[in-house]
Amino acid sequence: MARKKHSYLRRWLGRRGSIKRSQILFILTIFVPLISLFMIIRIIPIGATLGTAFTNMHLIRPVTKFVGMKNFIRLLEDKQFISAFFNSIEYVVVAVPLEIGLGLLFALMLSRKIKFEALYETLYFIPYILPMVPAAIVWKWFYSPGSFGLANYLLESVGLDRVPWMSNPRIALLATIGIHVWKNLGYFMIIFLVALKNVPAEMREASKVDGATIWQTIRHIELPLIKPVILYGMVMATVWSWSAFTEVYIMTQGTDISTGAEIQVLIYRVFQEAFVYHSMGKGCAISFVVFLISLVIILVQFKIFRWGEK
Amino acid sequence: MKKLATCRKIKGSRIILHLCLLVSSVIMVMPFIWLVFTSFKEKADIISVTPTLLPRLWTLSNYIKLPEVAPFLRFFFNSFFISLISTLFVIIGCPMAGYIFAKYKFRGQTFLFLLIMATILVPLQTYMIPLYLIMKSFGWINTYQGMIFPLIIMSSGIFFLRQNILTIPDELIDACRMDGCSEFGVFWRIIFPLSFAATAAIAIVNWVFTWSQVFIWYLVMANSEKLFTMELGLMYFQRHYVTDYGGIMAACVITVLPILIFFLIFRRRIIEGVSLTGMKY
Repeated sequence: MARKKHSYLRRWLGRRGSIKRSQILFILTIFVPLISLFMIIRIIPIGATLGTAFTNMHLIRPVTKFVGMKNFIRLLEDKQFISAFFNSIEYVVVAVPLEIGLGLLFALMLSRKIKFEALYETLYFIPYILPMVPAAIVWKWFYSPGSFGLANYLLESVGLDRVPWMSNPRIALLATIGIHVWKNLGYFMIIFLVALKNVPAEMREASKVDGATIWQTIRHIELPLIKPVILYGMVMATVWSWSAFTEVYIMTQGTDISTGAEIQVLIYRVFQEAFVYHSMGKGCAISFVVFLISLVIILVQFKIFRWGEK
Repeated sequence: MKKLATCRKIKGSRIILHLCLLVSSVIMVMPFIWLVFTSFKEKADIISVTPTLLPRLWTLSNYIKLPEVAPFLRFFFNSFFISLISTLFVIIGCPMAGYIFAKYKFRGQTFLFLLIMATILVPLQTYMIPLYLIMKSFGWINTYQGMIFPLIIMSSGIFFLRQNILTIPDELIDACRMDGCSEFGVFWRIIFPLSFAATAAIAIVNWVFTWSQVFIWYLVMANSEKLFTMELGLMYFQRHYVTDYGGIMAACVITVLPILIFFLIFRRRIIEGVSLTGMKY
Protein backbone atom coordinates (compact mmCIF):
# COMPACT_ATOMS: atom_id res chain seq x y z
CA MET A 1 0.00 0.00 0.00
CA ALA A 2 2.65 2.40 1.03
CA ARG A 3 4.59 1.52 -2.04
CA LYS A 4 1.65 2.32 -4.25
CA LYS A 5 1.26 5.76 -2.70
CA HIS A 6 4.91 6.34 -3.39
CA SER A 7 4.44 5.65 -7.07
CA TYR A 8 1.53 8.10 -7.30
CA LEU A 9 3.79 10.79 -5.95
CA ARG A 10 6.37 9.77 -8.48
CA ARG A 11 3.96 10.00 -11.36
CA TRP A 12 2.75 13.40 -10.19
CA LEU A 13 6.24 14.80 -9.79
CA GLY A 14 7.92 13.51 -12.89
CA ARG A 15 6.85 13.46 -16.50
CA ARG A 16 7.69 10.35 -18.53
CA GLY A 17 9.32 8.64 -15.59
CA SER A 18 12.15 11.13 -15.33
CA ILE A 19 12.33 10.59 -11.59
CA LYS A 20 13.77 7.47 -10.02
CA ARG A 21 12.76 6.02 -6.69
CA SER A 22 16.01 6.89 -4.97
CA GLN A 23 15.58 10.43 -6.18
CA ILE A 24 12.15 10.61 -4.59
CA LEU A 25 13.76 9.63 -1.31
CA PHE A 26 16.35 12.37 -1.72
CA ILE A 27 13.69 14.94 -2.53
CA LEU A 28 11.62 13.93 0.48
CA THR A 29 14.45 13.93 2.99
CA ILE A 30 16.47 16.91 1.79
CA PHE A 31 14.51 19.08 -0.55
CA VAL A 32 11.18 19.15 1.26
CA PRO A 33 12.65 20.29 4.60
CA LEU A 34 14.84 22.83 2.81
CA ILE A 35 11.96 24.30 0.88
CA SER A 36 9.73 24.35 3.95
CA LEU A 37 12.43 26.28 5.80
CA PHE A 38 12.67 28.62 2.86
CA MET A 39 8.91 29.13 2.99
CA ILE A 40 8.98 29.88 6.73
CA ILE A 41 11.79 32.42 6.61
CA ARG A 42 11.12 34.08 3.25
CA ILE A 43 7.83 33.45 1.48
CA ILE A 44 5.46 33.36 4.44
CA PRO A 45 6.87 36.56 6.01
CA ILE A 46 6.73 38.35 2.67
CA GLY A 47 3.14 37.23 2.13
CA ALA A 48 2.22 37.99 5.73
CA THR A 49 3.61 41.52 5.38
CA LEU A 50 1.16 42.16 2.59
CA GLY A 51 -1.70 40.60 4.60
CA THR A 52 -0.97 42.25 7.95
CA ALA A 53 -0.94 45.65 6.25
CA PHE A 54 -4.75 45.45 6.15
CA THR A 55 -5.21 44.64 9.84
CA ASN A 56 -4.98 46.64 13.05
CA MET A 57 -2.49 44.22 14.59
CA HIS A 58 -0.84 45.58 17.71
CA LEU A 59 1.41 43.65 20.06
CA ILE A 60 -0.48 44.85 23.14
CA ARG A 61 -4.00 44.53 21.72
CA PRO A 62 -5.22 40.93 22.08
CA VAL A 63 -7.62 40.83 19.11
CA THR A 64 -6.58 41.55 15.55
CA LYS A 65 -9.22 42.73 13.11
CA PHE A 66 -9.33 43.31 9.39
CA VAL A 67 -9.57 47.05 8.81
CA GLY A 68 -9.31 47.33 5.03
CA MET A 69 -7.55 50.41 3.74
CA LYS A 70 -7.63 52.25 7.06
CA ASN A 71 -3.90 51.91 7.68
CA PHE A 72 -3.09 53.41 4.30
CA ILE A 73 -5.55 56.28 4.76
CA ARG A 74 -3.95 57.01 8.13
CA LEU A 75 -0.53 56.94 6.51
CA LEU A 76 -1.59 59.64 4.07
CA GLU A 77 -2.30 61.95 7.03
CA ASP A 78 0.83 60.95 8.91
CA LYS A 79 3.34 63.79 8.57
CA GLN A 80 6.20 61.56 9.75
CA PHE A 81 5.45 59.01 7.04
CA ILE A 82 5.12 61.63 4.32
CA SER A 83 8.47 63.18 5.18
CA ALA A 84 10.08 59.72 5.41
CA PHE A 85 8.61 58.84 2.02
CA PHE A 86 10.09 61.87 0.32
CA ASN A 87 13.40 61.39 2.12
CA SER A 88 13.54 57.86 0.71
CA ILE A 89 12.75 59.17 -2.76
CA GLU A 90 15.59 61.65 -2.36
CA TYR A 91 17.82 58.76 -1.24
CA VAL A 92 17.15 56.88 -4.46
CA VAL A 93 17.37 59.94 -6.71
CA VAL A 94 20.70 61.05 -5.26
CA ALA A 95 22.36 57.72 -4.40
CA VAL A 96 21.63 55.62 -7.50
CA PRO A 97 23.16 57.96 -10.14
CA LEU A 98 26.15 58.64 -7.88
CA GLU A 99 26.80 54.96 -7.19
CA ILE A 100 26.38 53.91 -10.82
CA GLY A 101 28.24 56.91 -12.24
CA LEU A 102 31.22 56.83 -9.90
CA GLY A 103 31.29 53.02 -9.97
CA LEU A 104 31.49 53.08 -13.76
CA LEU A 105 34.12 55.82 -13.72
CA PHE A 106 36.42 53.91 -11.36
CA ALA A 107 35.80 50.63 -13.17
CA LEU A 108 36.71 52.24 -16.52
CA MET A 109 39.88 53.68 -15.03
CA LEU A 110 40.87 50.36 -13.45
CA SER A 111 40.16 48.34 -16.60
CA ARG A 112 42.98 50.11 -18.52
CA LYS A 113 45.54 47.43 -17.55
CA ILE A 114 46.90 49.59 -14.81
CA LYS A 115 49.66 48.84 -12.30
CA PHE A 116 48.67 48.10 -8.69
CA GLU A 117 45.17 47.27 -9.88
CA ALA A 118 44.63 44.78 -7.06
CA LEU A 119 45.66 47.36 -4.48
CA TYR A 120 43.20 49.99 -5.75
CA GLU A 121 40.49 47.35 -6.01
CA THR A 122 41.03 46.38 -2.38
CA LEU A 123 41.02 49.97 -1.15
CA TYR A 124 37.74 50.74 -2.95
CA PHE A 125 36.20 47.56 -1.68
CA ILE A 126 37.07 47.89 2.01
CA PRO A 127 34.16 50.22 2.94
CA TYR A 128 31.68 47.77 1.44
CA ILE A 129 32.93 44.79 3.42
CA LEU A 130 33.19 46.46 6.81
CA PRO A 131 30.26 46.85 9.21
CA MET A 132 28.10 49.94 8.79
CA VAL A 133 27.80 50.89 12.48
CA PRO A 134 31.45 51.84 13.13
CA ALA A 135 31.66 53.46 9.69
CA ALA A 136 28.59 55.59 10.36
CA ILE A 137 29.88 56.53 13.82
CA VAL A 138 33.14 57.76 12.32
CA TRP A 139 31.34 59.75 9.64
CA LYS A 140 29.03 61.24 12.21
CA TRP A 141 32.03 62.35 14.18
CA PHE A 142 33.50 63.91 11.02
CA TYR A 143 30.30 65.85 10.54
CA SER A 144 30.09 67.03 14.15
CA PRO A 145 29.45 70.73 14.64
CA GLY A 146 31.84 73.37 15.90
CA SER A 147 35.53 73.28 15.34
CA PHE A 148 36.41 69.68 16.11
CA GLY A 149 34.29 68.24 13.31
CA LEU A 150 36.90 67.28 10.79
CA ALA A 151 34.72 68.09 7.77
CA ASN A 152 34.33 71.68 8.91
CA TYR A 153 37.99 71.93 9.84
CA LEU A 154 39.01 70.86 6.35
CA LEU A 155 36.55 73.28 4.75
CA GLU A 156 37.92 76.13 6.88
CA SER A 157 41.51 75.25 6.14
CA VAL A 158 40.87 75.68 2.40
CA GLY A 159 39.06 78.96 3.11
CA LEU A 160 35.43 77.88 2.82
CA ASP A 161 32.56 78.48 5.23
CA ARG A 162 31.49 75.97 7.82
CA VAL A 163 28.53 73.80 6.86
CA PRO A 164 25.82 72.93 9.41
CA TRP A 165 26.15 69.20 8.63
CA MET A 166 23.95 67.95 11.42
CA SER A 167 21.60 70.82 12.30
CA ASN A 168 20.12 71.54 8.87
CA PRO A 169 17.89 68.57 7.94
CA ARG A 170 18.39 68.99 4.19
CA ILE A 171 22.16 68.90 4.52
CA ALA A 172 22.03 66.15 7.15
CA LEU A 173 20.06 63.94 4.78
CA LEU A 174 22.55 64.55 1.98
CA ALA A 175 25.40 63.81 4.38
CA THR A 176 23.72 60.53 5.32
CA ILE A 177 23.25 59.64 1.66
CA GLY A 178 26.94 60.41 1.27
CA ILE A 179 27.74 57.69 3.82
CA HIS A 180 25.51 55.25 1.92
CA VAL A 181 27.18 56.01 -1.41
CA TRP A 182 30.67 55.81 0.07
CA LYS A 183 29.83 52.43 1.63
CA ASN A 184 28.32 50.73 -1.43
CA LEU A 185 30.43 52.28 -4.19
CA GLY A 186 32.98 49.45 -4.07
CA TYR A 187 30.39 46.84 -4.94
CA PHE A 188 29.28 48.60 -8.12
CA MET A 189 32.86 49.31 -9.10
CA ILE A 190 33.65 45.59 -8.81
CA ILE A 191 30.69 44.28 -10.82
CA PHE A 192 31.36 46.81 -13.59
CA LEU A 193 35.06 45.99 -13.56
CA VAL A 194 34.36 42.26 -13.93
CA ALA A 195 32.01 43.00 -16.83
CA LEU A 196 34.51 45.31 -18.53
CA LYS A 197 37.22 42.67 -18.28
CA ASN A 198 34.94 40.26 -20.14
CA VAL A 199 34.71 42.63 -23.11
CA PRO A 200 36.86 40.94 -25.79
CA ALA A 201 40.16 42.75 -26.26
CA GLU A 202 39.87 42.40 -30.06
CA MET A 203 36.87 44.70 -30.09
CA ARG A 204 38.81 47.44 -28.32
CA GLU A 205 41.77 46.99 -30.62
CA ALA A 206 39.57 46.96 -33.72
CA SER A 207 38.03 50.26 -32.78
CA LYS A 208 41.48 51.67 -32.04
CA VAL A 209 42.67 50.59 -35.50
CA ASP A 210 39.63 52.29 -36.98
CA GLY A 211 40.85 55.51 -35.39
CA ALA A 212 38.35 55.82 -32.56
CA THR A 213 39.33 57.90 -29.54
CA ILE A 214 39.17 56.44 -26.04
CA TRP A 215 35.85 58.18 -25.39
CA GLN A 216 34.35 56.81 -28.60
CA THR A 217 35.48 53.29 -27.71
CA ILE A 218 33.91 53.59 -24.27
CA ARG A 219 30.73 55.16 -25.56
CA HIS A 220 30.09 52.87 -28.55
CA ILE A 221 31.83 49.59 -27.68
CA GLU A 222 32.23 49.06 -23.96
CA LEU A 223 29.14 50.65 -22.44
CA PRO A 224 26.66 48.96 -24.81
CA LEU A 225 28.29 45.60 -24.14
CA ILE A 226 28.02 45.84 -20.35
CA LYS A 227 24.51 47.27 -20.47
CA PRO A 228 22.87 44.26 -18.76
CA VAL A 229 25.27 44.62 -15.85
CA ILE A 230 24.50 48.33 -15.60
CA LEU A 231 20.81 47.49 -15.45
CA TYR A 232 21.47 44.90 -12.73
CA GLY A 233 23.55 47.46 -10.84
CA MET A 234 20.80 50.05 -11.10
CA VAL A 235 18.21 47.62 -9.74
CA MET A 236 20.49 46.69 -6.83
CA ALA A 237 21.39 50.30 -6.08
CA THR A 238 17.70 51.20 -6.09
CA VAL A 239 16.69 48.37 -3.76
CA TRP A 240 19.50 49.12 -1.32
CA SER A 241 19.03 52.86 -1.15
CA TRP A 242 15.25 52.47 -0.97
CA SER A 243 15.60 50.15 2.02
CA ALA A 244 18.50 51.92 3.76
CA PHE A 245 18.38 51.90 7.53
CA THR A 246 21.56 51.54 9.57
CA GLU A 247 23.28 54.82 8.68
CA VAL A 248 20.07 56.77 9.30
CA TYR A 249 19.60 55.01 12.62
CA ILE A 250 23.12 55.88 13.74
CA MET A 251 22.84 59.48 12.55
CA THR A 252 19.57 60.07 14.42
CA GLN A 253 20.48 58.63 17.78
CA GLY A 254 23.25 57.73 20.12
CA THR A 255 25.73 60.41 20.96
CA ASP A 256 25.18 64.03 21.95
CA ILE A 257 25.57 65.31 18.40
CA SER A 258 22.61 63.56 16.79
CA THR A 259 20.54 64.97 13.98
CA GLY A 260 16.80 65.38 14.40
CA ALA A 261 14.29 62.80 13.22
CA GLU A 262 13.73 64.89 10.08
CA ILE A 263 16.11 62.69 8.12
CA GLN A 264 14.21 59.45 8.75
CA VAL A 265 13.50 57.10 5.84
CA LEU A 266 10.82 54.47 5.22
CA ILE A 267 12.51 51.47 6.85
CA TYR A 268 13.28 53.67 9.83
CA ARG A 269 9.55 54.37 10.09
CA VAL A 270 8.83 50.62 9.86
CA PHE A 271 11.26 50.04 12.71
CA GLN A 272 9.74 52.80 14.81
CA GLU A 273 6.12 51.80 14.26
CA ALA A 274 6.67 48.08 14.75
CA PHE A 275 9.39 47.81 17.38
CA VAL A 276 9.05 51.06 19.33
CA TYR A 277 5.26 51.63 19.24
CA HIS A 278 4.44 47.91 18.62
CA SER A 279 1.92 48.84 15.93
CA MET A 280 2.55 45.88 13.61
CA GLY A 281 -0.33 46.65 11.24
CA LYS A 282 0.92 50.12 10.50
CA GLY A 283 4.49 48.93 10.19
CA CYS A 284 3.42 46.34 7.62
CA ALA A 285 1.43 48.97 5.74
CA ILE A 286 4.64 50.98 5.35
CA SER A 287 6.48 47.82 4.25
CA PHE A 288 3.72 47.28 1.70
CA VAL A 289 4.38 50.75 0.30
CA VAL A 290 8.11 49.94 0.21
CA PHE A 291 7.43 46.76 -1.80
CA LEU A 292 5.03 48.41 -4.19
CA ILE A 293 7.12 51.47 -5.01
CA SER A 294 10.35 49.50 -5.43
CA LEU A 295 8.54 47.17 -7.82
CA VAL A 296 7.34 50.18 -9.83
CA ILE A 297 10.81 51.75 -9.91
CA ILE A 298 12.41 48.46 -11.05
CA LEU A 299 9.81 48.02 -13.81
CA VAL A 300 10.39 51.58 -14.99
CA GLN A 301 14.14 50.92 -15.12
CA PHE A 302 13.58 47.78 -17.21
CA LYS A 303 11.28 49.73 -19.54
CA ILE A 304 13.80 52.53 -19.99
CA PHE A 305 16.53 50.03 -20.86
CA ARG A 306 14.30 48.16 -23.33
CA TRP A 307 13.25 51.44 -24.88
CA GLY A 308 16.89 52.43 -25.24
CA GLU A 309 17.55 49.25 -27.21
CA LYS A 310 15.03 50.08 -29.92
CA MET B 1 59.51 60.93 -33.69
CA LYS B 2 55.77 60.82 -33.80
CA LYS B 3 55.79 57.50 -32.02
CA LEU B 4 57.85 58.97 -29.21
CA ALA B 5 55.35 61.80 -28.80
CA THR B 6 52.39 59.40 -28.50
CA CYS B 7 54.42 57.34 -26.09
CA ARG B 8 54.97 60.38 -23.92
CA LYS B 9 51.32 61.33 -24.21
CA ILE B 10 50.25 57.88 -23.10
CA LYS B 11 52.67 58.03 -20.20
CA GLY B 12 51.28 61.42 -19.19
CA SER B 13 47.71 60.20 -19.25
CA ARG B 14 48.77 57.12 -17.26
CA ILE B 15 50.19 59.35 -14.54
CA ILE B 16 46.99 61.38 -14.41
CA LEU B 17 45.01 58.14 -14.22
CA HIS B 18 47.12 56.90 -11.34
CA LEU B 19 46.76 60.23 -9.57
CA CYS B 20 42.96 60.11 -9.85
CA LEU B 21 42.85 56.54 -8.61
CA LEU B 22 45.24 57.20 -5.77
CA VAL B 23 43.39 60.29 -4.51
CA SER B 24 39.96 58.64 -4.70
CA SER B 25 41.09 55.41 -3.08
CA VAL B 26 42.71 57.34 -0.24
CA ILE B 27 39.42 59.20 0.24
CA MET B 28 37.65 55.84 0.38
CA VAL B 29 39.78 54.50 3.24
CA MET B 30 40.51 57.85 4.93
CA PRO B 31 37.76 57.48 7.55
CA PHE B 32 39.31 54.21 8.71
CA ILE B 33 42.84 55.57 8.76
CA TRP B 34 41.66 58.56 10.77
CA LEU B 35 39.75 56.22 13.07
CA VAL B 36 42.78 54.08 13.80
CA PHE B 37 45.06 57.02 14.59
CA THR B 38 42.42 58.75 16.69
CA SER B 39 41.99 55.68 18.85
CA PHE B 40 45.60 56.12 19.99
CA LYS B 41 45.15 59.80 20.89
CA GLU B 42 44.65 61.31 24.30
CA LYS B 43 41.40 63.04 25.10
CA ALA B 44 42.73 66.60 24.85
CA ASP B 45 44.35 65.70 21.56
CA ILE B 46 41.09 64.36 20.07
CA ILE B 47 39.02 67.48 20.71
CA SER B 48 41.86 69.85 19.86
CA VAL B 49 40.88 72.73 17.56
CA THR B 50 43.79 71.99 15.22
CA PRO B 51 43.44 68.28 14.54
CA THR B 52 46.39 66.31 13.25
CA LEU B 53 46.30 62.91 11.62
CA LEU B 54 49.00 61.38 13.82
CA PRO B 55 48.62 61.47 17.60
CA ARG B 56 50.81 64.04 19.31
CA LEU B 57 51.27 61.54 22.08
CA TRP B 58 50.60 57.86 21.48
CA THR B 59 48.58 56.19 24.21
CA LEU B 60 46.95 52.83 24.74
CA SER B 61 44.63 54.04 27.51
CA ASN B 62 41.57 53.99 25.25
CA TYR B 63 42.03 50.28 24.65
CA ILE B 64 43.03 49.32 28.17
CA LYS B 65 39.81 50.59 29.72
CA LEU B 66 37.55 48.91 27.10
CA PRO B 67 37.16 45.48 28.74
CA GLU B 68 36.16 47.16 32.00
CA VAL B 69 33.17 48.95 30.49
CA ALA B 70 31.86 46.49 27.90
CA PRO B 71 32.54 42.77 27.34
CA PHE B 72 33.85 43.02 23.80
CA LEU B 73 35.21 39.50 23.94
CA ARG B 74 31.71 38.24 24.54
CA PHE B 75 30.38 40.37 21.65
CA PHE B 76 33.08 38.93 19.43
CA PHE B 77 32.10 35.40 20.43
CA ASN B 78 28.43 36.12 19.67
CA SER B 79 29.21 37.46 16.19
CA PHE B 80 31.53 34.55 15.57
CA PHE B 81 29.01 31.95 16.74
CA ILE B 82 26.15 33.36 14.66
CA SER B 83 28.28 33.53 11.51
CA LEU B 84 29.62 30.04 12.12
CA ILE B 85 26.26 28.29 12.53
CA SER B 86 24.70 30.17 9.63
CA THR B 87 27.66 29.36 7.39
CA LEU B 88 27.58 25.64 8.31
CA PHE B 89 23.95 25.47 7.23
CA VAL B 90 24.77 27.30 4.00
CA ILE B 91 27.69 24.96 3.24
CA ILE B 92 25.41 21.92 3.44
CA GLY B 93 22.14 23.41 2.19
CA CYS B 94 23.24 25.36 -0.87
CA PRO B 95 24.97 22.50 -2.75
CA MET B 96 22.10 20.12 -1.97
CA ALA B 97 19.47 22.53 -3.22
CA GLY B 98 21.74 23.44 -6.12
CA TYR B 99 22.10 19.74 -7.04
CA ILE B 100 18.36 19.19 -7.06
CA PHE B 101 17.67 22.31 -9.09
CA ALA B 102 20.43 21.52 -11.56
CA LYS B 103 20.07 17.79 -12.14
CA TYR B 104 16.48 16.84 -11.26
CA LYS B 105 13.39 17.42 -13.34
CA PHE B 106 10.06 17.42 -11.59
CA ARG B 107 6.83 19.33 -11.46
CA GLY B 108 6.98 22.72 -9.75
CA GLN B 109 10.74 22.85 -9.87
CA THR B 110 11.02 25.86 -12.17
CA PHE B 111 8.41 27.71 -10.18
CA LEU B 112 10.27 27.11 -6.91
CA PHE B 113 13.53 28.17 -8.48
CA LEU B 114 12.03 31.42 -9.75
CA LEU B 115 10.57 32.01 -6.29
CA ILE B 116 14.02 31.65 -4.74
CA MET B 117 15.54 33.95 -7.34
CA ALA B 118 12.87 36.57 -6.71
CA THR B 119 13.62 36.67 -2.99
CA ILE B 120 17.22 37.69 -3.72
CA LEU B 121 15.83 41.11 -4.55
CA VAL B 122 13.79 41.51 -1.36
CA PRO B 123 15.85 42.83 1.56
CA LEU B 124 15.22 41.35 5.00
CA GLN B 125 14.20 44.66 6.55
CA THR B 126 11.05 44.83 4.43
CA TYR B 127 9.56 41.62 5.84
CA MET B 128 11.09 41.61 9.31
CA ILE B 129 7.79 42.25 11.14
CA PRO B 130 6.11 38.88 10.32
CA LEU B 131 9.49 37.20 10.72
CA TYR B 132 9.68 38.69 14.20
CA LEU B 133 6.14 37.47 14.95
CA ILE B 134 7.03 33.95 13.77
CA MET B 135 10.09 33.94 16.03
CA LYS B 136 7.86 35.19 18.85
CA SER B 137 5.43 32.32 18.32
CA PHE B 138 8.39 29.93 18.57
CA GLY B 139 9.42 31.70 21.77
CA TRP B 140 12.74 32.56 20.18
CA ILE B 141 12.92 36.29 20.86
CA ASN B 142 16.23 37.18 22.47
CA THR B 143 17.85 33.80 21.74
CA TYR B 144 20.66 32.66 19.47
CA GLN B 145 18.37 30.43 17.43
CA GLY B 146 16.06 33.39 16.75
CA MET B 147 18.97 35.50 15.55
CA ILE B 148 20.36 32.73 13.34
CA PHE B 149 17.19 31.16 11.95
CA PRO B 150 16.45 33.61 9.09
CA LEU B 151 20.07 33.43 7.99
CA ILE B 152 20.38 29.69 7.35
CA ILE B 153 19.23 29.76 3.72
CA MET B 154 21.02 31.89 1.18
CA SER B 155 18.96 32.37 -1.97
CA SER B 156 21.76 33.83 -4.05
CA GLY B 157 23.99 30.94 -2.93
CA ILE B 158 21.48 28.37 -4.19
CA PHE B 159 21.35 30.18 -7.52
CA PHE B 160 25.13 30.37 -7.77
CA LEU B 161 25.61 26.68 -6.92
CA ARG B 162 22.94 25.54 -9.35
CA GLN B 163 24.80 27.34 -12.13
CA ASN B 164 28.00 25.68 -10.98
CA ILE B 165 26.58 22.15 -10.67
CA LEU B 166 25.02 22.40 -14.15
CA THR B 167 28.57 22.18 -15.52
CA ILE B 168 29.18 18.77 -13.90
CA PRO B 169 28.62 16.15 -16.66
CA ASP B 170 25.58 13.87 -16.26
CA GLU B 171 27.67 10.83 -17.29
CA LEU B 172 29.70 11.14 -14.12
CA ILE B 173 26.56 11.08 -11.97
CA ASP B 174 25.08 8.17 -13.94
CA ALA B 175 28.31 6.19 -13.65
CA CYS B 176 28.24 6.71 -9.90
CA ARG B 177 24.62 5.51 -9.77
CA MET B 178 25.54 2.44 -11.83
CA ASP B 179 28.16 1.60 -9.27
CA GLY B 180 25.40 1.40 -6.73
CA CYS B 181 25.58 4.80 -5.09
CA SER B 182 22.46 6.17 -3.47
CA GLU B 183 21.56 9.79 -4.15
CA PHE B 184 23.34 10.75 -0.93
CA GLY B 185 26.36 8.90 -2.22
CA VAL B 186 26.23 10.79 -5.49
CA PHE B 187 25.99 14.04 -3.61
CA TRP B 188 28.76 13.20 -1.20
CA ARG B 189 31.19 11.62 -3.70
CA ILE B 190 30.57 13.68 -6.85
CA ILE B 191 28.60 16.87 -6.35
CA PHE B 192 30.04 18.14 -3.10
CA PRO B 193 33.74 17.71 -3.98
CA LEU B 194 33.35 19.01 -7.53
CA SER B 195 31.43 22.13 -6.50
CA PHE B 196 33.53 22.74 -3.42
CA ALA B 197 35.30 25.83 -4.78
CA ALA B 198 31.95 27.49 -5.41
CA THR B 199 30.66 26.40 -2.01
CA ALA B 200 33.71 27.88 -0.33
CA ALA B 201 33.15 31.20 -2.12
CA ILE B 202 29.53 31.21 -0.97
CA ALA B 203 30.51 30.31 2.57
CA ILE B 204 32.99 33.18 2.79
CA VAL B 205 30.48 35.66 1.39
CA ASN B 206 27.87 34.37 3.83
CA TRP B 207 30.30 34.82 6.69
CA VAL B 208 30.90 38.46 5.82
CA PHE B 209 27.21 39.02 5.22
CA THR B 210 26.06 37.63 8.56
CA TRP B 211 28.87 39.43 10.32
CA SER B 212 28.35 42.91 8.98
CA GLN B 213 25.20 43.35 6.91
CA VAL B 214 22.18 42.25 8.97
CA PHE B 215 22.49 44.75 11.79
CA ILE B 216 18.75 45.54 11.80
CA TRP B 217 17.75 41.93 12.47
CA TYR B 218 20.12 41.60 15.44
CA LEU B 219 18.88 44.97 16.68
CA VAL B 220 15.30 43.70 16.65
CA MET B 221 16.03 40.28 18.13
CA ALA B 222 18.68 40.79 20.82
CA ASN B 223 17.62 42.73 23.91
CA SER B 224 20.15 41.57 26.44
CA GLU B 225 23.81 42.39 26.55
CA LYS B 226 24.65 38.68 26.61
CA LEU B 227 23.49 38.24 23.00
CA PHE B 228 24.89 41.45 21.51
CA THR B 229 26.94 41.12 18.35
CA MET B 230 29.94 43.40 17.93
CA GLU B 231 27.95 46.10 16.18
CA LEU B 232 25.22 46.09 18.82
CA GLY B 233 27.89 46.15 21.49
CA LEU B 234 29.39 49.20 19.84
CA MET B 235 25.99 50.93 19.82
CA TYR B 236 25.52 50.07 23.49
CA PHE B 237 28.95 51.37 24.36
CA GLN B 238 28.42 54.52 22.37
CA ARG B 239 25.15 55.28 24.12
CA HIS B 240 26.63 54.96 27.57
CA TYR B 241 29.91 56.79 27.02
CA VAL B 242 28.64 59.68 25.01
CA THR B 243 31.58 62.06 25.14
CA ASP B 244 34.37 59.53 25.54
CA TYR B 245 35.48 59.85 21.92
CA GLY B 246 38.73 58.02 22.46
CA GLY B 247 36.88 55.04 23.93
CA ILE B 248 34.30 55.06 21.11
CA MET B 249 37.02 55.16 18.48
CA ALA B 250 38.89 52.30 20.12
CA ALA B 251 35.65 50.30 20.27
CA CYS B 252 35.09 51.05 16.56
CA VAL B 253 38.57 49.73 15.76
CA ILE B 254 37.88 46.55 17.75
CA THR B 255 34.61 46.09 15.84
CA VAL B 256 36.21 46.60 12.45
CA LEU B 257 39.34 44.57 13.06
CA PRO B 258 38.13 40.92 12.89
CA ILE B 259 36.30 41.31 9.61
CA LEU B 260 39.10 43.42 8.14
CA ILE B 261 41.60 40.65 8.88
CA PHE B 262 39.19 38.11 7.42
CA PHE B 263 38.85 40.26 4.29
CA LEU B 264 42.59 40.66 3.84
CA ILE B 265 43.09 36.88 4.12
CA PHE B 266 40.31 35.91 1.68
CA ARG B 267 40.48 39.08 -0.43
CA ARG B 268 40.47 37.42 -3.87
CA ARG B 269 37.66 35.00 -3.02
CA ILE B 270 35.50 37.61 -1.31
CA ILE B 271 35.75 40.01 -4.25
CA GLU B 272 34.92 37.21 -6.70
CA GLY B 273 32.11 35.81 -4.60
CA VAL B 274 30.55 39.18 -3.87
CA SER B 275 30.63 40.22 -7.50
CA LEU B 276 28.77 37.01 -8.35
CA THR B 277 26.19 36.94 -5.58
CA GLY B 278 25.82 40.51 -4.40
CA MET B 279 26.08 39.50 -0.75
CA LYS B 280 22.40 40.04 -0.05
CA TYR B 281 19.78 37.43 0.54
